[in-house]
Amino acid sequence: MARRELISGPNFSGRSGALMALLRDGKFAAETFYIGPYSEAALSGLSSTIADEIEIYRAKPARFGRAVFLPLGFAALGRREPQTLSGGEQVLLALHCFSLSHYEAIAIDSALEQLDPVHRDAALDYLGPREEAVGNVALIDNRLPPAPAGWSCSERAADTDVYDCDPGRVVADLAPRQAPTIAVSGLHFDYSDQKSIFRAVDLTLEGGQAYRVAGPNGAGKTTLLKLLVGVLAPKAGTLTFGGEPYRPWRQGNRAIALATQNPDHQWCGATLGDDLARRRSAFARHVHREYLSDTRMAKLADALGVRSLDAHLYELPLAARKRLSWLWPLSGALPWAMFDEPSVGQDAQTRLQLAAAIARLATLGYGVLFVTHDDDFAARIPHRVLALGDKQVKAG
Amino acid sequence: MFTTPRLIIIGLGAALNVSIGTIVYLIKLPVYLDSIGTILVALLLAPDRTAAFLCAWAAGWIGLVVSGLVNPFLPWFAITDVAIALVTALLTVGAAATFRARPLRPIPFTAQVLLCGAVTGIVSGVVSAPVVAYLFGGVTGSGSALVVAVFLKAGENLMSAAMLSGLAADPPDKILQVLFAALLYRATPGELIAMLRPATQARLIR
Amino acid sequence: MTPNGALAVAFVLIALSMSGPGPRGTALLLVLTLAFAIIELRGATLIALRRAAVVVLPLGVFMGLVWIGIVGRAPAEIAADATGTRAAALVYVAGICGRLFFIVAVIQLVFLRFAQLTPLQFVGALALPVGVKRMLVVTLSLIETLRHAIDRAHTALIAAGTLTRSPSWRNLIHAWRLIQAVWLSAVTIVLGRMRDKWPVENTLALLDRTLAGGNPKWLLGDDRIWLPIALGAAVVILLADRIAGAS
Repeated sequence: MARRELISGPNFSGRSGALMALLRDGKFAAETFYIGPYSEAALSGLSSTIADEIEIYRAKPARFGRAVFLPLGFAALGRREPQTLSGGEQVLLALHCFSLSHYEAIAIDSALEQLDPVHRDAALDYLGPREEAVGNVALIDNRLPPAPAGWSCSERAADTDVYDCDPGRVVADLAPRQAPTIAVSGLHFDYSDQKSIFRAVDLTLEGGQAYRVAGPNGAGKTTLLKLLVGVLAPKAGTLTFGGEPYRPWRQGNRAIALATQNPDHQWCGATLGDDLARRRSAFARHVHREYLSDTRMAKLADALGVRSLDAHLYELPLAARKRLSWLWPLSGALPWAMFDEPSVGQDAQTRLQLAAAIARLATLGYGVLFVTHDDDFAARIPHRVLALGDKQVKAG
Repeated sequence: MFTTPRLIIIGLGAALNVSIGTIVYLIKLPVYLDSIGTILVALLLAPDRTAAFLCAWAAGWIGLVVSGLVNPFLPWFAITDVAIALVTALLTVGAAATFRARPLRPIPFTAQVLLCGAVTGIVSGVVSAPVVAYLFGGVTGSGSALVVAVFLKAGENLMSAAMLSGLAADPPDKILQVLFAALLYRATPGELIAMLRPATQARLIR
Repeated sequence: MTPNGALAVAFVLIALSMSGPGPRGTALLLVLTLAFAIIELRGATLIALRRAAVVVLPLGVFMGLVWIGIVGRAPAEIAADATGTRAAALVYVAGICGRLFFIVAVIQLVFLRFAQLTPLQFVGALALPVGVKRMLVVTLSLIETLRHAIDRAHTALIAAGTLTRSPSWRNLIHAWRLIQAVWLSAVTIVLGRMRDKWPVENTLALLDRTLAGGNPKWLLGDDRIWLPIALGAAVVILLADRIAGAS
């Protein structure tokens, strides 16, 4: 009888360690397909194209008896680099590779939280107790109920309070401000090797309001955030900020504090102190120096579980890095705050606290955009919906 | 000797050589900056000088092969790469503890960078000169060709011009490269460095 | 034609170009290479030539500036301590650039000939030990990893206000921060793979199995035509130069 193991518990209860121990003791399976929280642990890292990624994992000779999980048309995407897929699409590619492979077991650490509701249900269905041919499944998922039917669940308790956090403390003393309006007109964008993402998009984003950017995996949610911050340049269209022309791809970002989906996509220094010092110097003309002082930032970082500005960012546990990634937008340094999948990998209590902190930001007059597939999380933040689809963005 | 983590770091070092070196080559700065990866690989394997030399050498040569697709002169400087790997393993690796010390100690750090960079530069300049002079007649595509031309114009013969150009351009270039490598080494997570040690010696490196 | 055959032909052509053939030998070499390109690649030949030009032309302009503009004489004249002429310098620089153009173009011809193969298929088809093929694939994948790390670091530094997407003085001043961010990003990526994914999956063994099953072939199809022609041409070119030298 195939095993279905769910390892649950709060952050820092050793769930990832327990998962690894389960895989390494050899009793779960001789070899296990593994999908970690972010792309470096979802893809093999040995392929330059999607076709090669699938070919590496395809069982030779071909395997029969297990249903193939095919949520997207990967054959048509064969020439693309796997890293150009969105986070959720990479997880779907990994699951597809597993379904073709020889592995008799799969372990997934928080990765399913990156999937939109339709794909997440399909993945959980595929991995569920009904599908014996899938083999053994071990899962960490912060959004599954404690004991889903057919799963054996081990509940772990937190074994350290070193990284305890309360996002509410970060925004508790923030003064109100009126974030200028961002207006987008006639936005066109496409990646050079792909179909177009946005076609003639018009959008007005008001300060003092939270917006949820919604859409299926690969619809362009992260792309929209990157366009607004200036990481990408539109093919056509204009942006204004507070009524003035705004071209962040040329002049630099001066308005938006972004927390990226993968926290390691946002550090600009080796230590927290270096990172904040560089942001301080970059925004010196737009933010009062005292706002970004070491004293204030150390206090806010402490509220998010990191006790020293000398902390080496890349040596912190992943969950701690994720929480620290909220520091910049929650600090109130810039009038607009954007969060890309901020709750991935976070336990229930932390998600509640984060939602309350984001809601407070909007209440204070900041502009907020957030991307999430977690409807419960989104429901705790009064918001308007920006629905992406058909190359358009429709405000709800 | 060549464990999987070490092979990966060799590949990364080679990729670093290729990327930074190619940019500098294309914009014709009178420096090279094409061995930062080589020096960094050696530092990551400190204090094992044999492993440092062999892995740095491998990183250097793999980088040469790939860079040769853009800079066809580069593969001919293979011996220079061996020399850089050797000097790094013998001298620069000895400064690894200074480079990684937290907090940073500015005076010992600077002194080590200057010493290691200067010695590496002198050795590299001397080893490269015959290749520049006899294989290419002084005609290489890097920015340092300008320096050779200046010496030739001043009446030096080819070998002297190549040697003087090397001794003028290489030490500052290698000092910069040792500096960058040391700073990257300093920032590298301890977990990676521990992975590069043999299993019996692996411990958390801070 | 097989990748192994194409690489062998390319090796012969490049070795011939570096042997410094005389005028007749050079002409024969160029005719042979052009015939190979047109028959095997047809229109894609122009792509190979364009790519070679992109690599070599800026180099040629720079070397022309230095050696014709500043130095004003050829290395042989410098060695002989002669006054020298800019014309001689031009001939020398043109010769070096021409050879480099040829080498780059031939390499591009091989890659374009098999453009329909994925990198894994191409490497798998090579007649090399599996260990060497594995290192080739890992190196190619690390170049992808570094490109991905550059993208991530770029995102981070632009969002943090340190860099701009368009060229700017700010980008030059803060280039070191980008290098550091790229390195740390790349290291984090490979660390995640080496610590978690690869050990539990034994992923590298999968790669070895895929490469071992690549079924490398030799001397099939057009290999049997081009390889003998290239080798025969090599003999003719080398002999032609000797005969021309003797007479």
